[in-house]
Amino acid sequence: MAKTTTIIFLLAGILAFNTHATAQQQDKSSEQEKQDHSGHDMDQDKHDHSGHSISTKTGPAVDHAGEHSADDDHGHDHDIDHSTHDTHAMDHGDMHHHHHMDDDHIMDHEGTMIMGQNLDKLPSSCQSISEEVEITVRAGRKYSAKFPGTAFAFDQQQWHVKPCSKVTWHFINEDSIRHQFMMHGLPKYLYKYGMFHLEVTGPKTVSGTIIVPGSDDTYLVHCDISHHMEKGMKAQLVVGKGGKDIPSIPGLTPYNVTDRYEAEDLPKVSNKSSDKTEKDLLTLEMTNFSDPDLKNYGIMLISALIGLFLIPLFKKIPLHKKND
Amino acid sequence: MPVHIFFSLLTFCMMSAAVTAQASLKLPETVKVDPAALTGEPMCDPIISAAWREAQEIDGVKIEASPGCSPDNPAWIAAAVKGTNNISMDTLMKTGLSPDAIIKTDDLDGDGDPDRIIIKLEIMELNGKTPDFPGVLPTFDIAPGIQPGAWVFAPKMSGMSTENFESIRANPLLRLPSPVIRVEVGDIVQIVLENTHYFPHSIHLHGVDHPFSHGEHGGQDGVPQTSEVELMPGERRIYQFQARQPGTMFYHCHVQTHTHLAMGLAGMIIVEENRPNNWLQTLNIGAGHVRHPSVAVREQFDQEYDLHYHAMDKQLGEIIQKHNDPRLIARDMNRRYDITDSTEDYFTLNGLSFPYTLRESLIIVEPDQKIKLRLLNSGGEQIAVHTHGHHATITHYDGVEHNPMAQIMRDVFDIAPAQRLDLKLETVNDGKHSYGEGDWLIHDHREKGITTDGMAEGGSMSSIVYTSYLGKDGMPKVSHFGIDLNKYFTKEYFERRLPIWQDLDEWASLGSPGERTGLDTATQNLLLNVLYGLLAGLLIYLIFSRWGQIKQSATAAIARLKSPKGSNQ
Repeated sequence: MAKTTTIIFLLAGILAFNTHATAQQQDKSSEQEKQDHSGHDMDQDKHDHSGHSISTKTGPAVDHAGEHSADDDHGHDHDIDHSTHDTHAMDHGDMHHHHHMDDDHIMDHEGTMIMGQNLDKLPSSCQSISEEVEITVRAGRKYSAKFPGTAFAFDQQQWHVKPCSKVTWHFINEDSIRHQFMMHGLPKYLYKYGMFHLEVTGPKTVSGTIIVPGSDDTYLVHCDISHHMEKGMKAQLVVGKGGKDIPSIPGLTPYNVTDRYEAEDLPKVSNKSSDKTEKDLLTLEMTNFSDPDLKNYGIMLISALIGLFLIPLFKKIPLHKKND
Repeated sequence: MPVHIFFSLLTFCMMSAAVTAQASLKLPETVKVDPAALTGEPMCDPIISAAWREAQEIDGVKIEASPGCSPDNPAWIAAAVKGTNNISMDTLMKTGLSPDAIIKTDDLDGDGDPDRIIIKLEIMELNGKTPDFPGVLPTFDIAPGIQPGAWVFAPKMSGMSTENFESIRANPLLRLPSPVIRVEVGDIVQIVLENTHYFPHSIHLHGVDHPFSHGEHGGQDGVPQTSEVELMPGERRIYQFQARQPGTMFYHCHVQTHTHLAMGLAGMIIVEENRPNNWLQTLNIGAGHVRHPSVAVREQFDQEYDLHYHAMDKQLGEIIQKHNDPRLIARDMNRRYDITDSTEDYFTLNGLSFPYTLRESLIIVEPDQKIKLRLLNSGGEQIAVHTHGHHATITHYDGVEHNPMAQIMRDVFDIAPAQRLDLKLETVNDGKHSYGEGDWLIHDHREKGITTDGMAEGGSMSSIVYTSYLGKDGMPKVSHFGIDLNKYFTKEYFERRLPIWQDLDEWASLGSPGERTGLDTATQNLLLNVLYGLLAGLLIYLIFSRWGQIKQSATAAIARLKSPKGSNQ
C-alpha cells in the first residue's frame, strides 16, 4: 500500500509540473521584458555623452568639488577685454609674444600656454607658504622607453611636496609635437575648473607656479592630448602624506583595465650545430636521390619482426585463459 | 481508496492537457516598444547655436548662410580664411585651434591674397581603449551609439581633447573625416605633420602636384618604401609643394595604408584656381558645405559642397578598443588583421552615417541654382552614388576637367576607391536636371551603403533638400507626410532592438511577437507521452504486485457474476 501511495504522489507531482509550466512561462515573458528595460537603462548611463558618471569615478576628472568650496568668483570668460588686465607672468617661461586672455589663461603665438597659474593666492587651509620649490618635468617619447607598452611619458611619475608649498614647474617638452602638463582636482575657488595647465610644442620649455592646498592629497598630472595619458603620459603630485593613488601610472600604480598577453611563435636564432645538421640532412636527402619509400619499407620490416616475436605471446594468452 | 484517487488524477490530467492544447492555438501577442523606453536624442544637436546658421561677417571674413541643423562653427571659417595668425584673439578662442594651426603670410605675387600657407596637422585617436575604465575615449558617434575606433588628421588644436574636463566626448575639432584642405595654384604650401599619435605615420598627397623630394625637408611622397622613413611618434615632418594644376585631390597616410587609410587617415585636398584677392577657406573641418568658396567657384556656382565618402571595417576599429598596449595594437593591425578576409561595415558621408548626415551633410538648394559638388571615395570598394530627382553633370575626373563638349549627365556616379568626381548640380525644373522641389535622397546605391553594420536605414545616405522642404531647425520637413524621423535618433534602433515597422499601424501588425505562452505542441505531446508511459507502467506494476488480490477479486467477481447468472437461471 505504501508503494502505491508514493507512486500516486509522484504522479500528482508530474501533473502539478505540467499545469505550472504554462503559468510559469507566462511569468517568464513578463520578467524578461522588465530585464530588457533595466539593461537598457544601464546602457544609457554608459553611453551618456556628458560622461559625468564615468569621468568622476576615474582618473581624468577626479572630482574634489565636495572637499572644496564651489565659489567660482574667479572664473573668467575669454571675452574679457585683454587690455584692462595686468600681466602676471611676464617673467615666466620664454614667452615673448604672449597674448593675454585673462589672469588664468596666457598663450603665445605658438600655442604655449599657462592656465590656472597661482602666484600669490593662499589656499584657505594654509596660514603661510611652507616652502618654495622648483620642479623640472621633462616630457617626451624617449621617457617611455623604460616602460614597455607605452608611447609617451614624463621623466618622473611622482613628485612629493609639502602642504602649502609654492611650486614652480619648469615643463620641458623634448618632442617636436605638443605636450601638456595638466593637473586636476585643485580647489576650484583658486583654480578655474580645479585645473592647472601648461602646454607647449617642443622642443621648448614653459614654466608656471601654483600654491598647493594645506591638506594631504594626491593630484592627477597628465597630458590630455588624445591617448597620451592612456599610452603612458601620466603621473601624480603627492602633497604631504598624499591621498589615494591615481591608477595606471606607468611603473607606479596598477591599471584598472589590463590587456591580455600571450606568447607569440616568433622566429628565433636556433643553436648553430643543430641548424647545420638539419640543413645537412635536407641536402643529403636532396642530393643522395634516396628513395623516400625506403624509410617506409624499413618501418614495415621492423613491425613485421615485432609481429613475429609477438606470435608466441598471442598464442600464450588464449592458452593461459583456457588453463584457467 | 487509492484506486479512486488514481482515476480522479487521471481524468484531471486529461482535462488539463486539453486546456493547454486549446491555449496553444492562439499565437503570441505583439510586444510594442514604448518610445519612453528609448534613449532618444534631439534630432538637431542642441549644443550648436542657431546663430551659426546665419550669414555673417567675422574679422572681415564673409561667411555664407548654412541653414542646416549643424553648420560649421563660423569662427573656424574665419580662422581658416584669414589664418590663425591674422584673426582676433576673441575669434581664436572660439575655435579651439592652436594659434599656429594655419599661418598665412607673404603676398608673393601681389594679387591681394597670402601665398605662404602653413597648415599644421596632428593625428588623434577617437573611440580608443583606456586603462582607466571599461569604455572608449574620446567618444565620437558616427550614428547614435555607434563608436568605431578611428584615427584622424586633425587641425592643430590647443587644450583638452574632450569637450571639457567632465566629458569624454571628443572636442569638436577631433572628428571624422580628416579636414578638407584648400590651397591655391602657386601657393607655397607647407603641411606640417606633428605626429601626436603612438604609431608611425606619413602624408601622401594623392593627385596634388608635389616634388618627390625636397632639398631641405627630404622625401615628400609619404611612402616608406620609396621616399622616406616612417614619421615616428613625437616627431614632425614638413611636406612642401607649390601646385601648378588645380583640382579635387586626396591626402592620406601611406604607412600600412591598408589599415591606416580605413582607420580614417584620409581627407580631401583641393587646389583652387589662382585668382586675385582669393582668400580661401584653408580648412573645411568636417567637410560639407563650403561657406566661403573660392573666387573661381563663385564665378560659376551659387554653392559648393565637399562630400567625402568613406567606409570602415568594424573588426579593424575594434583592435584599438581591445588593446591599450601599442605593441598589441601593432601586432593585431599589422600581422593578424587580414584585409582580404574583411568586410566594410560602416559607410559614412563626411564622417557620419544616417541620421547624423541629416544634421550636417544635407545639400540645401533653391530652384534654379548651380551647385558644385566635390566627391571623394576613400573607402575600399567602388561606390555608386545616386541623386534622386536629379541628373548632374560630371565636370572633372580626379581633379582634371573633362572635355566640356564630352561631359555627360548621370544619376548614378560610380567612384572607384581614391577617385574624385566634380559634379555640376543644376536645380532647373525641366524634368532632366531636376524634377522639381522636394527632399530628394542622395545615397550609395550599393544597398549595403545605406546600412550601418547591416542595419538600414543608415550608411552614407543624405538628401538634396529644397529650402521649401527644410524645417526651422535645419532638418528636412517630412512630418506632413506622417513621417517621424525620431526613431533613427535612438541607439536602440542601431542595436536592432526596435521593431522598425511597429508604428506603421495602430495594432502594430508588424511589431515584435512576444514569447509563446504555454507549451508548444511538440513539448506537449512529449510530456503527455511521458505521462501515458508512466501510467501504463504503474498499471502493469499494480497488476503484478497485486496479482493475488486481482486474481482473488477477479474470481470473486466472476463468481459473483456467475451466481447472479445462476440465480437468474
